[in-house]
Amino acid sequence: MSPENLKSGDNDELEALFDEIADQKLWDADTSAPAQPAAAAVAPSTPEVHAHAVDSTVLQPGDDPVKPGDEPHDVFVRVGMLTRKLHDALRELGYDRNVESAVNSLPDARARLNYIASLTGQAAEKVLASVETCQIINDGLQGKAKTLEAQWDKLYNNQLSLEEFKQLAADNQQFVKDIALKTQSMGSNLTEIMMAQDFHDLTGQVVNRIATMAQNLEEQLVQLLLDTTPADRRPVVEEQWLSGPAMDAAGRTDVCANQGQVDDLLESLGF
Amino acid sequence: MNPEDLKFLIVDDFSTMRRIVRNLLKEIGYNNADEAEDGAVALAKLKNGNFNFVVSDLNMPNMNGFELLRNIRAEPDLKHLPVLLITAEAKKEDIVTAAQMGASGYIVKPFTKATLEEKLSKIVAKMSV
Repeated sequence: MSPENLKSGDNDELEALFDEIADQKLWDADTSAPAQPAAAAVAPSTPEVHAHAVDSTVLQPGDDPVKPGDEPHDVFVRVGMLTRKLHDALRELGYDRNVESAVNSLPDARARLNYIASLTGQAAEKVLASVETCQIINDGLQGKAKTLEAQWDKLYNNQLSLEEFKQLAADNQQFVKDIALKTQSMGSNLTEIMMAQDFHDLTGQVVNRIATMAQNLEEQLVQLLLDTTPADRRPVVEEQWLSGPAMDAAGRTDVCANQGQVDDLLESLGF
Repeated sequence: MNPEDLKFLIVDDFSTMRRIVRNLLKEIGYNNADEAEDGAVALAKLKNGNFNFVVSDLNMPNMNGFELLRNIRAEPDLKHLPVLLITAEAKKEDIVTAAQMGASGYIVKPFTKATLEEKLSKIVAKMSV
């Protein structure tokens, strides 16, 4: 599901279509309900896989590696050679598609993160606006109440004339009407603030998707590493990794634990 | 039955959303509501409680909104329960599926209190027919 789709709204045409089909009560006639389509926002769309996952090389395969000790050009050449080797290895093993699709999901992840930033920003703005409105109303009511209170104190201290008392009564009556109106307005502002919290649901789903994507990418790469570990290093791998906890998408602690393990594994393999 | 006495079941995996819907229902006048975090929990509650109305999200783990709806419509004691489905997008195929599977109505997120009220009264009106 793209961010654009997430902004789409309802319309009368759709509602009419719904009513038309619902009235037929199709579900009641036959016992087996129609097959569900892929439910909204389930599978990420994986783009068509093209040839090269990695394409930055300069040297031709078979060129001699440069001796260690040479500077930037040396590093560039070595990186290029390694990249070529990795690319060829990936392709031979058939991994390039998996890794490529995992990597290709990253731009989508970026778009989703932008969407989250924008949605949460909007929600914050909405809430702040409502809060400011309520603060103004609140201050107004408070001020007026204090003024009236002072007048009432005067009354009970026999400091008000009859005319002033009549004025106080009228002012108080007006105040009471005012409260009724203003509290209604504050009430709807409070509803606005509550409704603005829906960003949590909308962004939460997107966040979950991104977390899954990142996890998937890591899994692909680690799996690749495990499967391509040369025979003489296998015992190290088995000891470090295969006895560890299974990769669990649910808990963040598992992910952190895996990160530590991945670090250990990489280090033990000399990377 | 008095509309105010309707017992609602709100089904959504996001607690914030459940809370919002619950508060909206209260504002509209429905004070009797319970919650479930997915279709499976919801179905269990429905079978044991005396619910009159289901408001459910579509996208949930364990059992999503469509599956819940299918199970409700397949159960003799529950098949006539009004079910309002909450969808994140107004995708035509989802709405068609919802109608075919027997949803009583649908509402697209993000929605306003007014829209929810409108959709609910439409269903409630049909209930008393």
